[in-house]
Amino acid sequence: MKSISLYVEKDTFIHKLEPVTKLWYAFTSVLLTFILPSLWMGILFLLFSLLLSISGRVLKNMIAFISAVIVISLTMLVIQGMFYKDNSTIVFTFGSLKFYKEGLIHATLLIVRVLNMIISFGILILTTRPSDMVTNLVQKGLSPRIGYVLSSVLQIIPQMLSTASTIIDAQRARGLETEGSLVQKLRAFFALIGPLVLSSLVEARERAIAIEMRGFGISMRQTHVSVILEGKVDRVLKFVIKLVLLIALTWRVVSWII
Amino acid sequence: MDNLKVSTEELSYEYPFSKKKALNNISLSIFSGESVGIIGRNGSGKSTLCFALTGLVPSFFGGKRTGRVLIDGVDVLQMSKEKLVRKVGLVLQNPFSQISGAKTTVFEEVAFGLENLGIERDEMVERIEKVLKRFNLWEKRTQNPFELSGGQLQRLAIASTIALEPEILILDEPTSQLDPQGTTEVFEVLSELKKSGMTIIIVEHKFEKLVEYVDKLIFLHDGSLVGYGKPEEIFSMREIDIYNVGEPVYTTLCKNIDVKNTHGNYPVHFNESVELLKGVFQKDDR
Repeated sequence: MKSISLYVEKDTFIHKLEPVTKLWYAFTSVLLTFILPSLWMGILFLLFSLLLSISGRVLKNMIAFISAVIVISLTMLVIQGMFYKDNSTIVFTFGSLKFYKEGLIHATLLIVRVLNMIISFGILILTTRPSDMVTNLVQKGLSPRIGYVLSSVLQIIPQMLSTASTIIDAQRARGLETEGSLVQKLRAFFALIGPLVLSSLVEARERAIAIEMRGFGISMRQTHVSVILEGKVDRVLKFVIKLVLLIALTWRVVSWII
Repeated sequence: MDNLKVSTEELSYEYPFSKKKALNNISLSIFSGESVGIIGRNGSGKSTLCFALTGLVPSFFGGKRTGRVLIDGVDVLQMSKEKLVRKVGLVLQNPFSQISGAKTTVFEEVAFGLENLGIERDEMVERIEKVLKRFNLWEKRTQNPFELSGGQLQRLAIASTIALEPEILILDEPTSQLDPQGTTEVFEVLSELKKSGMTIIIVEHKFEKLVEYVDKLIFLHDGSLVGYGKPEEIFSMREIDIYNVGEPVYTTLCKNIDVKNTHGNYPVHFNESVELLKGVFQKDDR
C-alpha cells in the first residue's frame, strides 16, 4: 500500500531545500504575477519557475499536465481575443471573426499566470515528500492535530480504496452485478457504500483509541524524529523571497495611492 | 511478583444509552510481573475491562463507571494522560487500524508516540533502534507500515507501544486476525516481554497458546467475574462448560475421560496431558 504522493526521488539542489522555502516560493511566485500585472513580469516569473523545474529535474513529470492546460487555454485566447471588454485594436480577422490585440494580450497574461501557478506548485509537490512538508510545517508551529490530519489523509485514502476493492470483490462473489446499466451500477454502489462506511467508522474509532494510547493530543512540547533543517541557503532564499514580495506589495499600494 | 500493580474495586460500567452493565462489580488484583489472561464468551466484557484498565472507559467512550481502577494505588481517572500513557500500553486486535496512518516508514511509526511524549531525539532514536531490533523489524525500518504483513504489523504495533516503556501491557485479542505464523510471532514477543518482568494482561481465544504463557486467568460472563485463578483451576470450573466458553483441546480430551492431575484439576498443557494420558493407557494395558 503506497501513500498518495507525486514525489519524484532525485538528488538535486531543489530537492534539498527546506519544504517551507519551496512553499514560500510557490505562493510568492503566484502572488507576484497578480501584484505586478504586466505580461513581461508574468513571463519573467514563468521562465524562472521553468528554470527551477529544470534544475530540479521534474519538468518532464509536468509536461503532460502543462500540455493539457495549454490546449484548454487556447479557448481563452479565442474568447478573450474576440470579446475582451477593452478590445479596440484589430490584429487579424478570420473570416468574419475579428481578433483584438488587447484581448490576446490579456488572454496570454492569464495563460502565463496559470502556467506559472502549475509549475511553481509542481516544483513544490514533485520535489518534496508529503511527510517532510507536514513535519516541516509542524516544526514551524502548525498544530500537530492539523499535521496529523494532513498526513493521515494521504495514507488512509489508499487504504480505504483497497478496502473498497475487497468489498467489491466480496459482493461480486455473492452475485452482485457491478457492470452494466446505470441502475445496476447504482445498485452496486449502494451495496458497496454501506460496508465501506461502517468498516471505515470502526477503523477510525480503533485508530483513535490506538493513537490516544500513544499520547496523541497530550498538550506538551512535541519532539520530532525527522528533523527538517533550515540551511543557510534556505534562510537567504526566504529572506530574498519575502523582500521581493514586500517591495512588490509596497509598489502596488503606492501606485494605487498616487 | 509481590507488588500490587493493578487492581479493581467493585468496578461496574454501563456504556452510554445502555441499561445493561458491561462490567458488574468486579474486584481483582494483579501483581507486578504477572501475566494474566482474560477469557469469556463474546459480549462478556473482556474488551470493556481492558478499556477500563486503561482509563478509556469512561473517558473515551462516555457512560457511567462506579468503583475504582487503581494502578500503583492511584485511580486511572485521577492520573494525567501523560502519566497513564507512560504506565499502560494497549494493543488492539486489528493490526491495520493501530497504525497511526500519518507516518510513511516503520521507523517514524515507532517514533509517533515518542514524539507525542516529547522524548528528546537522541533518546528517541536509541529506543526505536532497540525495539525494532528486539521485534525483528530493523530490516523493515524504511518500509511503509502498510506494506507489512499482518504479523509484522502487529509486531510493529507492540513495538510502538513498548517503545513508550510502559510498566503494564494490555493486549485485546492481538492474534485474532493473524495466521498461525503471525500468531507464533506475537506470542514469541510476549514470552520475551514476560521474561523482562513486564506486567501483561491479554484477551485471547487461542487457549492452547494462552495457557502456555499466563500465570492466571480472569473468567468473565455477562460482565461479571466468574473466576480468577490458575489456568487449570479456571478450566476445571463447571461454568466453563455451562457458559460454553471453550477450553484447550487437551483439557477437553482429559475431561472426556475424566483424567485429573494431583491437584484435582484437568490439565491444560500439552506435556502434562500427555503424561496423564500415558498413565491412564498404561494402567489399561496392564
